[in-house]
Amino acid sequence: MKNIKYTAKIKRYNPEKKESYWQDFEVEVEDTLTVLELLMYIKDKIDSTLTFRSFCRSAICGSCAMLINGRSGLACKIQAKDKIRNGVVKIEPLQHLPVIKDLVVDIDPAIEKLKKVKPYLEPDPKKVPDNLKSESLVSPEEFAMYDKQTDCILCMACYGQCNALEGDAKYLGPLQLTKAFRFIMDSRDGMDVEERINLVENSGIYECVQCQMCLAACPKDIKPAEDILGLRRIAKDVGKDNSATRRAKFWFQTVYETGQIDKYNLPVASLEEDGEVIKENMEKEFKERGLKEENFGPQPFDGIQDLQNFIKKVQKEVK
Amino acid sequence: MKKIGIYPGCCFQGADEHNYEITIRFLENMGVDGILLERAACCGGGVIDESNKLVVYGLNARNIALAEKEGVDLYTPCNTCYMIIAKTKLALDSNPDLKEQVNKILADEGLEYKGEAKIYHTLNLLRDFIGMDNYKKALKREISGVKVAPYYGCHVLAPNEVAVDDPDNPTLLKEILEPLGVEVIDEYQNQNTCCGYHATYTDNAQKERLAIKPLDGAKEAGADIVATPCPLCHKAMDGKEEPILQVTQLINVACGMTPEETAINLNKTEVKLSI
Ligand code: SF4
Ligand code: SF4
Ligand code: FES
Repeated sequence: MKNIKYTAKIKRYNPEKKESYWQDFEVEVEDTLTVLELLMYIKDKIDSTLTFRSFCRSAICGSCAMLINGRSGLACKIQAKDKIRNGVVKIEPLQHLPVIKDLVVDIDPAIEKLKKVKPYLEPDPKKVPDNLKSESLVSPEEFAMYDKQTDCILCMACYGQCNALEGDAKYLGPLQLTKAFRFIMDSRDGMDVEERINLVENSGIYECVQCQMCLAACPKDIKPAEDILGLRRIAKDVGKDNSATRRAKFWFQTVYETGQIDKYNLPVASLEEDGEVIKENMEKEFKERGLKEENFGPQPFDGIQDLQNFIKKVQKEVK
Repeated sequence: MKKIGIYPGCCFQGADEHNYEITIRFLENMGVDGILLERAACCGGGVIDESNKLVVYGLNARNIALAEKEGVDLYTPCNTCYMIIAKTKLALDSNPDLKEQVNKILADEGLEYKGEAKIYHTLNLLRDFIGMDNYKKALKREISGVKVAPYYGCHVLAPNEVAVDDPDNPTLLKEILEPLGVEVIDEYQNQNTCCGYHATYTDNAQKERLAIKPLDGAKEAGADIVATPCPLCHKAMDGKEEPILQVTQLINVACGMTPEETAINLNKTEVKLSI
């Protein structure tokens, strides 16, 4: 253990003046501090007005998520010294949530969105007995499908760095969608799968840009982006017909036929009429560039049957 | 001459076929022999998962195995292909059972996933495969008088396990741009906002709302051009007021090629370089 010197650059917000500003705190502290302990040190020794939220100090209550060097995470789980870049640790509140003061954000809007996915079990009477004498059994294989997701501590780290929310504030959010996925996968849940999909279909699953930031953010190794792909898969399987399910079917089909996605015909396949304009523009562009018509889309490579047999076998045999 | 396997993703296809030219000429300029992995298939693009995730693992195990058969590492300029293939490699290397199941099927084509080939993207290729000193030696002229804002795109920095540089403070793109003689605008608003490409065919309005943000941020900070390593980011963001190019296009120019020879004339938003 030794003392180290660095700058904590903290984004502050004064609610009375409705004013946000950066403030630098020069510290000389032990190198074993977590970011949360660093904040506590500053509050204790330098500026008692610095405001942040914390409780458990052991990555379980979910209170202390913030942006550290622009990346979302739990202040109590991250070592401050690992985050020093050019002598500075940069700390800001989560994005996409109203800031109350300094590093404290109001999580209510995200909780309201969470309610929309009905984040609770609607017990299936066939699976869940209505008395306390018998048990409702879940096999380990079944549980493995959503085990990780049940670890969510609602810290909002994923939400605070989600790019889909950057584009549309109405987007449900990564943790909300992971929760929706988790209840669909739960065999004890009695709600109709299609009904659960309806809850997320129009305010979430297709606006996600698959940026993977939620995977990078989550302190519990939950992978919301992958669960969102799972939701899209389920939407397709229950027969939803929309741009994304059409895209998924077309994509698989053309990769099977040629080895590549046919991006020339994809817009029409997925967006239907709206895609016609895109296709016409592409056609114009291709012709201007003197591209041969057979090169507008992909051509199967020699021996494409090998790939097709491979895909068929993977679908059948790999578990 | 050092050899590398070029993985052909959809960014080499149709309207984007010039991306293959850019890539192969870039490798030539760096003194690397690029071998096209002709029988490689789509990485899945994050869409095949919506049908079957195991197929994604299978396809990319096969893609890597094709490189391994040639005795080369695998290189793709595309951020997304890189991320998905690198993620597959991690999954296969940490799950011997999955690897064995896939290898049983790959044997039909005389292929085997061994886990030996490294997965490269332009950024780590320059640092780890070509070497920054060799890179600098290969440059023939300076592109001066132009302010360039580096734009990484998401999939080379997240998820953390496949990041090519420190996600907290990436500097690689800056280190690649500086030797070109350009002035690097290192910080700007929304520099980490996603380009939105993957919403193009599901929710194009969402893509448009995102694509403009880093461009506007760069413009406000005084950048003349945004430079990205990723052909998909380039595709999503080209056509707005602020021009965007691929970093390999700038490198090719600094290696003596004309803008036309590296497809800069095909940009929707015009780019003027003083060389
Ligand atoms: S992958 Fe989707 S849900 Fe996750 S952070 Fe990106 S846009 Fe948001
Ligand atoms: S999914 Fe992970 S990051 Fe998101 S709220 Fe839950 S625990 Fe936090
Ligand atoms: S203080 Fe409870 S999670 Fe950090």
